[in-house]
Amino acid sequence: MSGRPLRSRFTRLGPNLVLLVALVFFMAPLLSTARQAVQSVPMPLLNWSTLFDKLTLDGVKRIFDEENFWPTLRTSLVLAGATVIITLALLVPTALYVHLRLPRARALIEFLTVLPYVVPPVALAAGVAAFYRANARWFFTSNYALVPFYVVMALPFTYRAIDAGIKAIDVRTLVDASRSLGAGWGTTIRRAVLPNMASSLISASFLTATVVLGEFTIAITLAKQTFPTFAFEFFGRDFQGGVALALLTLVATTVLLGALTILTRPKAVRAARKADRLARATSSTPLGT
Amino acid sequence: MTNTTIALDGGRTDSAAPAARPVPWRSRFGPWIGLLPFFGFLFLFLLLPTYGVVKKAFIDEAGAFSTAAISDVLGTERQAFYGSLKLSFVTALLGVVFGTMLAYAAATAERPKWLRSLVSAFSGVAANMGGVVLAFLFITLLGRQGLGTKLVREGLGYDLYGTGWFDISSFWGWVTVYMYFQIPLMVLVTLPAIDGLKPAWREASSNLGGTTWTYWRRVGLPVLAPSMLGGFLLLFANAFSAYATVYALNTQSNVVPVKISFGLRNDVGGRVTTPYALATCMIVVLAVAMGGYLLLRKRAERWQVS
Amino acid sequence: MSNLAFNSIRKTFGSTVALQGLDLDVHDGELIALLGPSGCGKTTALRIAAGFEAADSGRVVVGADDISNLPAHKRNMGMVFQSYSLFPNLDVSANVEYGLRTRKVDKAERRRRVADILELVELSDHTTKYPHQLSGGQQQRVALARALAIEPSVLLLDEPLSALDAKVRSNLRDEIRRIQTELGITTLFVTHDQEEALGISDRIGVMSQGRLEQLGTPAEIYGNPSSAFVARFIGSMNEIPATVVDTKTVRVLETVVPTARSHDFPAGEPINLLVRPEDTSIVGNGDDGLVGTVVSQTFQGSSTDVSVRLTVLDLLITVHVVGSTEGIYRTGDQVKVGIDAERAVFEPAS
Repeated sequence: MSGRPLRSRFTRLGPNLVLLVALVFFMAPLLSTARQAVQSVPMPLLNWSTLFDKLTLDGVKRIFDEENFWPTLRTSLVLAGATVIITLALLVPTALYVHLRLPRARALIEFLTVLPYVVPPVALAAGVAAFYRANARWFFTSNYALVPFYVVMALPFTYRAIDAGIKAIDVRTLVDASRSLGAGWGTTIRRAVLPNMASSLISASFLTATVVLGEFTIAITLAKQTFPTFAFEFFGRDFQGGVALALLTLVATTVLLGALTILTRPKAVRAARKADRLARATSSTPLGT
Repeated sequence: MTNTTIALDGGRTDSAAPAARPVPWRSRFGPWIGLLPFFGFLFLFLLLPTYGVVKKAFIDEAGAFSTAAISDVLGTERQAFYGSLKLSFVTALLGVVFGTMLAYAAATAERPKWLRSLVSAFSGVAANMGGVVLAFLFITLLGRQGLGTKLVREGLGYDLYGTGWFDISSFWGWVTVYMYFQIPLMVLVTLPAIDGLKPAWREASSNLGGTTWTYWRRVGLPVLAPSMLGGFLLLFANAFSAYATVYALNTQSNVVPVKISFGLRNDVGGRVTTPYALATCMIVVLAVAMGGYLLLRKRAERWQVS
Repeated sequence: MSNLAFNSIRKTFGSTVALQGLDLDVHDGELIALLGPSGCGKTTALRIAAGFEAADSGRVVVGADDISNLPAHKRNMGMVFQSYSLFPNLDVSANVEYGLRTRKVDKAERRRRVADILELVELSDHTTKYPHQLSGGQQQRVALARALAIEPSVLLLDEPLSALDAKVRSNLRDEIRRIQTELGITTLFVTHDQEEALGISDRIGVMSQGRLEQLGTPAEIYGNPSSAFVARFIGSMNEIPATVVDTKTVRVLETVVPTARSHDFPAGEPINLLVRPEDTSIVGNGDDGLVGTVVSQTFQGSSTDVSVRLTVLDLLITVHVVGSTEGIYRTGDQVKVGIDAERAVFEPAS
């Protein structure tokens, strides 16, 4: 009688419309890209009757014929790997140290990790040119010079991911428990702490890798040949091939992300295995030391 | 016997104390030594480059102090700076409006249970999807030969490119493409705030005689305001620093990042130090925006807790 | 001020029946506690009164007015929620003022009423604080003040104490009762805590599965529960298997025990006798009683609960003993337990 169900159904109209429009907006570019990548019907001739004509993988094939495809992909993968390793080596000890020894530094560290937002990639590139071209030319000319700056660029995401991972496991208690069972610091970190942070380390690594594999600004400004600069240059020469490459990149990213989601899913099974591993780690620590 | 024990204990404590207890200097500053690698890294690869930029912004060709490059930003480069500010402002504003609407729609949807997590997961991906690939996606959709352009022309009888206001490689085209990462970023920022709106507030309001409008005006919007304003600043900063997308859409784009990159790669035309002056001004604008964002986030979190 | 009546209220959520024809009349100035386990329909009843849910059928009446079709914001009821219902962006006085502003009360009058009501809940020193600066108990006092400021015809309390610490809870409970009596406001109080209900109400309505099991004063509900459900839900009960002898007596093992409750169980029928711990006692060796062994003793200050395992029935029962039993009984002692079944409730043996 008060009409509440009726009204609430009516008020859902707006939100549902918003969701529908969002679906169209976010899906349309993906669909048009997919078509462009595998079909060579020119746009003026495209209609219902030609919608599935001339499907071709030529664009995709041409990607692999490009002489710069594999070398630049390799460069970017190596850069991504190096960035991941340095990020973890730098941030995991720092974050653990802050949590365990110096909690009062947390606000400062959090503030510092946001600074890369203030100095955007293009300004960072300008800074590299300004400072390192003049003062350390040997460093500047190497492709690997990009790595530390990529670490800095990814810092806001990666630190937050690692920090969240530490917060989630109550690291203080874990360390105390392990140490009270006679484990040394090394064993404690290696066998009690890191295994329990695995999912946050994986997602931090993935975030870092996607940042590096897509990074265009610094690379092109400093005239480095990486995968994104190759993709841009290729797109300029070969429209369909470039679009196919974009699609391939998206698919690869999605597949990786899916794998990541499954890997880091907090399933009961995984939790049980984790607990088991933890029990083994802590009970066997006296031998470990 | 008892006496001996006390004496022994006391003696050990006394002699061990100086060794066990760190000296005052160490106890105060010692723990910070563990953070040296991190601080050192940031110093080398963030602070020094920034210093390099700022220093070069204030010297002339001969290396003497000069504000000529900085005044270029307001002179010859005024158009680029204005272009960047306009693009960032418009995309941030639209991003806030549509992002909040989408977040609200997703947060209040009851029916498919997975809808909410789908929206937030997709937002996490799309918010970071700026760059060359995104530009390609939209060129296939809304370029002159794009599928969307054709559908709109033949389905709705409207030619996007007919009146000249829209072009994928000019302002409104950029705005459209930027929405693809600005809206999801706003969703990520504002979803927790919308979740923080307690049903009891709405009920208490109507119980006290307030209509739906009273609730939104006096409680809902004021509670969301810090998040929305903070989101605006974050989106503004995000668009202001974006380079790859707008460059891939049009290599001649008259916006600050494109000018900086171009100036650095081609030492021709204009003052050599102008890119550094532009970068310095960029850093200042971003520092203001991010500072405001952090302050507002703190405020928003306070309300979310209570 | 006026009474609040539910007339045959029915409410279903999908296939779940939340209320099956609730009839309840909260008299003018009376405080009734609706008590029951979660899912019994008590909160639904309250939300129907407030206008947050619509009943499928039946009427809600305040005084002479049928308000069933009135939207929530026109009902003039004050409500206190479980927790965290204060508007976080408004300070204490603005929260309390909220309902007065929607009613377009003029500024001077608003000020006066806010000051009065905050004095009543003893929060006059905190007017400019924000909710996040207050303790849980203070927040609920503000919520109470906010609900009372509009001078509602009925006050609705939805488990207002459930999120608070034990000590704060009992203080605020007494406070609510003091203020309610002082203002003489008709009040419906929903709770799942029987102690709370016994301590605060004029009458208690015990609910189960969408029905009102029993309505009565706290003493009636406790001393004379109308059903085994009510008996079990309020206080604690010993369950002792027995056999009906006649309308006046039952037999527990070989002991014949007099009863006072009227019942229609035939002679010879096996039943469960529900007996409160204070209606059992440890008796002398010569007296009638059931033999058992002391298992444990829980000292509670003014009394002690002695757990006894009855030997033949192999049943654990609690005996309420006034004072301390230290030095009197020890764990393992053989004792005899006497049963006073005058107030005992009968239940068919399962």
